[in-house]
Amino acid sequence: MRTHLLQIAGQVALAVFIVMLILAGASGVTADDSLPKVLLNADNLGPRSIEDRTAEVVPRDYAFAWRTMAQALEQNRAELLDGYFAGLAKDNLSHLIADQKQSNVRVRYLDHGHKLEALFYSPAGDAMQLRDHASLGIDVMDGDKVIHSEQVNLQYIVLMTPGADRWLVRDLEIVPETKP
Amino acid sequence: MRGPISFLMLLVLAGGAWAAEIHPPSQATAGVSFSMSSSGTGQGTFYLIGPAHVAKHQVSLGGNIDVDGTEIEHAGRYTAILCTDQCSATTFYVHAAEPDRLSLLVHPSRVPVSNPNAISAVAFVWDAFHNLEFSPQTVKFTVNPSEHSSISQARTSSNGIAWIRLTSAAKGGPAKIEASIGKTSETRVVQQVASDACNLRIKGSSVSHKVLVETDPVRDCSGNFVPDGTVVSFTMTDSTGKTTVDVPIKRGVAKVEIPATGHARITAASGVATGNELDLAGGAE
Repeated sequence: MRTHLLQIAGQVALAVFIVMLILAGASGVTADDSLPKVLLNADNLGPRSIEDRTAEVVPRDYAFAWRTMAQALEQNRAELLDGYFAGLAKDNLSHLIADQKQSNVRVRYLDHGHKLEALFYSPAGDAMQLRDHASLGIDVMDGDKVIHSEQVNLQYIVLMTPGADRWLVRDLEIVPETKP
Repeated sequence: MRGPISFLMLLVLAGGAWAAEIHPPSQATAGVSFSMSSSGTGQGTFYLIGPAHVAKHQVSLGGNIDVDGTEIEHAGRYTAILCTDQCSATTFYVHAAEPDRLSLLVHPSRVPVSNPNAISAVAFVWDAFHNLEFSPQTVKFTVNPSEHSSISQARTSSNGIAWIRLTSAAKGGPAKIEASIGKTSETRVVQQVASDACNLRIKGSSVSHKVLVETDPVRDCSGNFVPDGTVVSFTMTDSTGKTTVDVPIKRGVAKVEIPATGHARITAASGVATGNELDLAGGAE
């Protein structure tokens, strides 16, 4: 009888353990968990005022753009850029990935977050320019060997345009840091 | 004697562990070749990582390392790395070349006449390699209406963008909107169309058991013909009650036949414009 009770207790404990593992696993695979943190400040934006919905989706889509860019560069997969990049930004990154494949040199980003400052929103609402104060770890790898590693704060000027259901990064340029 | 020899040996050993160094210029211009000096002896591996380019070359240390203009066509931050036993890295910025191209966004493509600030034009200033020109540039916006002399205004770009708001002309027709910088220009055409109807005038007659009503040619307040398809609503009140009929303008006028009983009063409206009232004797009650 005692052995039987112990078996049941063991089976219950095992079931609880499996359920906990599943729950832990499920919470670990949500898409947003790996998104970089992006904060948007649109206080000085003009000439058009930003709409509430746009103020929500621009930082969200910019975070997705950075996540897909980091994945595309690390895995040498230019097709990942299709989701959140267009125009010059996509062309430049695709070219970078082609060179990475050829040289076996890769760039790996560790994204510590972005502070976006909206600079210009066109009167018709079809283009927005932002300044991004990005905090990044950057590794340059030749094959599997890290040949250079740095922690940097970089300033990007970003041009985004609205697509069918999201905002796309159309131009992304690093500029020398300017002091306010 | 052993002291100085040991010191020299340490120096030699330490020297072997020193990484060769490279010295890029403080700034470079997109598409312009340059050289950077290097220290050390023997061979090394040189890496150049930019916004759209990765290169890896074998180089001789101690001399100049040439960077071709085609390797730095994209403005931004570049990392130069030189590896022997160890690697040393340095960064430099490449700036855009002279302004060479414009992108122009103009909205809307059709606009009612005499509409204040209804047209917006946004110009993006690029160099020949599609780098945004961040230094302030003077962009001239010119409006060329079809039947009037052109009007120009200059705006200074900020972070590569210059923009302007424009009021549509009083007369309908195409207007060319041009942005220019130096010898570079871009043009878009905006169709200026008649605004809402103004001062509707109707006339009519009664025939048998119906009334025939039509408008005079429908124009906006600037005298432009309102486009065909614009709806005019005719409302008739007779002894049987009120009847409303919506009629699109065809060839400049809207016309309708409405069955009527006895005396009929007819009005017309289009948008915010209303016309005169018309009293007609309809058919027998």
